Amino acid sequence: MEKYRANLLMCAGTGCVASGTPKVKDALQEELEKQGLADEVKIVLTGCNGFCAEGPVMLVYPEEIFYQKLTVAEVPKLVEEHFLKGRPYEKLMFKDPEKRAAIPLMNDIPFFKHQVLRVLRNKGLIDPDSLDEYIARDGYMAAGKALTEMTPEDIIQTIKDAGIRGRGGAGFPTGLKWEFASKSVADQKFMLCNGDEGDPGAFMDRSVMESDPHSVIEGMLIGAKAIGASKGVIYVRAEYPLAVARLETAIKLCRENGLLGENILGSGFNFDLEIYLGAGAFVCGEETALMRSIEGKRGMPRPRPPFPAHKGLWDKPSVLNNVETLAQIAPTILNGAEWYKSLGTEKSTGTKVFALTGDIKNVGLVEVPMGTPLKTIIYDIGGGMTNKKKKFKSVQMGGPSGGCIPEDHIDIPVTYEDIVKTGAIMGSGGMVVMDEDTCMVSTAKFFLEFTADESCGKCTPCRVGTRVMLDMLTDITEGRGQEGDIEKLEDLSRDIISTSLCGLGQTAPNPVLSTIRYFKHEYEAHIKDHWCEAGICSDLCSFHISEELCKGCGACLRACPQEAIVGEKKKAHRIIQELCIQCRSCYDTCKFASIEVKPAIRKEKPVSAVKEGGDK
Amino acid sequence: MADDIKILVVDDEPVIIRSCESVLRSEGYNIEGVLGGKEAILKMEQTPYDLVFTDLKMPEVDGITLIKWIRQNRPDTGIVVITGYPSQDTIKDALEAGIIDYVPKPFTPAVLLDVTERSVQWIKGKAAVEEEKKEEEFPPSMRQEIDRVIKEYRNKPGSSIPVLQRCQAIVGYLPPVVQKRVAKGLNMSPAEIHSIVTFYSYFTMKPRGDHNVRVCLGTACYVKRVEEVLEKFKSTLKIDVGEVTEDKKFSIETVRCLGACGLAPVIVVDEETYGAMTPKKVQGVLEEYA
Repeated sequence: MEKYRANLLMCAGTGCVASGTPKVKDALQEELEKQGLADEVKIVLTGCNGFCAEGPVMLVYPEEIFYQKLTVAEVPKLVEEHFLKGRPYEKLMFKDPEKRAAIPLMNDIPFFKHQVLRVLRNKGLIDPDSLDEYIARDGYMAAGKALTEMTPEDIIQTIKDAGIRGRGGAGFPTGLKWEFASKSVADQKFMLCNGDEGDPGAFMDRSVMESDPHSVIEGMLIGAKAIGASKGVIYVRAEYPLAVARLETAIKLCRENGLLGENILGSGFNFDLEIYLGAGAFVCGEETALMRSIEGKRGMPRPRPPFPAHKGLWDKPSVLNNVETLAQIAPTILNGAEWYKSLGTEKSTGTKVFALTGDIKNVGLVEVPMGTPLKTIIYDIGGGMTNKKKKFKSVQMGGPSGGCIPEDHIDIPVTYEDIVKTGAIMGSGGMVVMDEDTCMVSTAKFFLEFTADESCGKCTPCRVGTRVMLDMLTDITEGRGQEGDIEKLEDLSRDIISTSLCGLGQTAPNPVLSTIRYFKHEYEAHIKDHWCEAGICSDLCSFHISEELCKGCGACLRACPQEAIVGEKKKAHRIIQELCIQCRSCYDTCKFASIEVKPAIRKEKPVSAVKEGGDK
Repeated sequence: MADDIKILVVDDEPVIIRSCESVLRSEGYNIEGVLGGKEAILKMEQTPYDLVFTDLKMPEVDGITLIKWIRQNRPDTGIVVITGYPSQDTIKDALEAGIIDYVPKPFTPAVLLDVTERSVQWIKGKAAVEEEKKEEEFPPSMRQEIDRVIKEYRNKPGSSIPVLQRCQAIVGYLPPVVQKRVAKGLNMSPAEIHSIVTFYSYFTMKPRGDHNVRVCLGTACYVKRVEEVLEKFKSTLKIDVGEVTEDKKFSIETVRCLGACGLAPVIVVDEETYGAMTPKKVQGVLEEYA
């Protein structure tokens, strides 16, 4: 094997590719050749590094120096400084937000410092298309152990002792699921993987499939041995073309090297895998719906029992595990249950991957021990709000099935139990951070739009109920809300939750309930005062310029598409309300926070009309 | 509108012809009358009519014979039966021969107008369907590819979704003709295939533009106000979500999360991902594909 002086691990995840990795890579390769360094420095394209906000990113081994926001223009300078002169190039390093000092080493950067990588153990370190590199990081050692040294009972006991719970949302104990399927007697069983990441705001499954596809395959192989399955299917979203391509390569390599197929590793165990492309239906996250989809039907859930562990795909015993769950099986088998339990809390063991997004500075994927305070994730790892002047308002967890956690509760440790207490759920780990400019009624409406659209239509309460709730929320955000609407929404929520068949309907009202619970005053202000304090619902707000704060810089005047702002230079400006369309341009432009949001001015109804017996 | 509809009334009672004329002419229909089936055929050999009202019991050439002749020689003409004997048998014969509707004698002007309007609608609807069919013709090379895909999957259980995915990749969308072909090939009912196509958001029954703009409506993108970016695309291209521009160059779709939340708001044009979108960047992105 050739030896290189330096390895450049360039992130080729979807995020960095969109930010320009391919162009930078070409430029870098060209520059290295020009300088005669191509034999000494090797570029490796890796899967998602996780620090998507700073892409394209690159890690230089052996020093472990982290470069971010690479551009083609900076490449010659970078090569000259770092690889010719041996001086790491400060300009492209991560800067400490307060001291503005460059932080050269990846593990010193706060975003990485607090993380513990188990699921993401190989992220950004190996070439996902290389089986050798996976094996070099102890890959398939656990599969070897499980297949040749362990009985199915041993495997299941280890997973049960470790306390691994499904990372897809509900947190059902994985070992128990395997045990049920293992005890079912049938001529054929299936081991399935759910890579149909439908939860908007979560992308850890995509990242794992893209950066470390073998970790999923190895997990499935061990699971297959535990339950006695000879066939497996990975169900992946068609919207994830890179993940599909990487999985296809990985499966092919496994077949060629005897890790899939017949008599794997000489153990006499047979298992083969195929990929099935999902066609886009959120409800297919529900296991019975997903299995129907693989059967080529409409993905509609069916009542349980019979549980899939007895009658699943093609009516054969089946186990469906989430990508993240499967990715942590191999290290657990290798290191034992005690190792796994050494992190986390009593009931929520191990680590969890979160997708940090929204109005947060360090957007990306983070893996932390269960029980880490939410605050640590948002402020220490996430770096706080993107816009330092804006206050934190809430963090949404669990997507359309979850809820919003307000500031008073962000000291809670992230465990399945503690999150449920707040009205949200762990879900697949999406954390969408929202600052004070977010309207919580609109946010609830956004999720209802999603669930009303994605309801498969089987159960009337879910199909019709979510639509009715959405109509009510639309009315509230457009100024037609009525006294008693909040109570009606709560009643309807309870009915939908108690009478829907599957998780989609049972959780669809959660975003509404949790926002009513913590932000009831916002609903009331929308309904009674026609006031959206965040200035998002354009029918329920008006914008005004504070005379004290306005510096007369004219930025808002230039930004206004309606020419509704008047004022002389260096004097306080004014908004002509008749012309204003509440587009927020001035609000977003003003650097001095001089734009104030006040209740709506009812333009179409002059005062006299109201006196003459208008509706209100 | 009504004056471009040509109607022929066939009845051996002149009073019926006259009353039809007076009612329908005042509504602007172009109407003529003849006293028997034979005259009707002679007339229709000369000029096509949109709609024929005919009695069933007539001397020489009767209604049923006339209907059958029209079906054979003027298949585009719509037929309405006027009869004093709406007994089940005769109507059944007429229905089997292919009529749109019938008017029982005696009738009021309101009934006649109502039936006429409905029949005209029916003819227009049929014309629209046929026009659509013409548009749906796709090249034989595509047909061969589709058949190859079907053959590859024919004996695999549960293959409807992969087959439809591949067919959509070939044709660009899934019009009814393609769905029917797939249904036949996989030995499934067209209804079953259609139910799958309409269930999954990946499938579309409308053609896309040369360049398809997909706007992510996931939570992270929502928080980063992707809505404003979407509005900008709509106003710049002057189309709504799910539509194609007149020059067939662009189409807009929305998706429920592209899993690139770190780059929110995100859009994808064809296979290219654009992150951190703002309304201002929209023009620039579109120009790349102009």
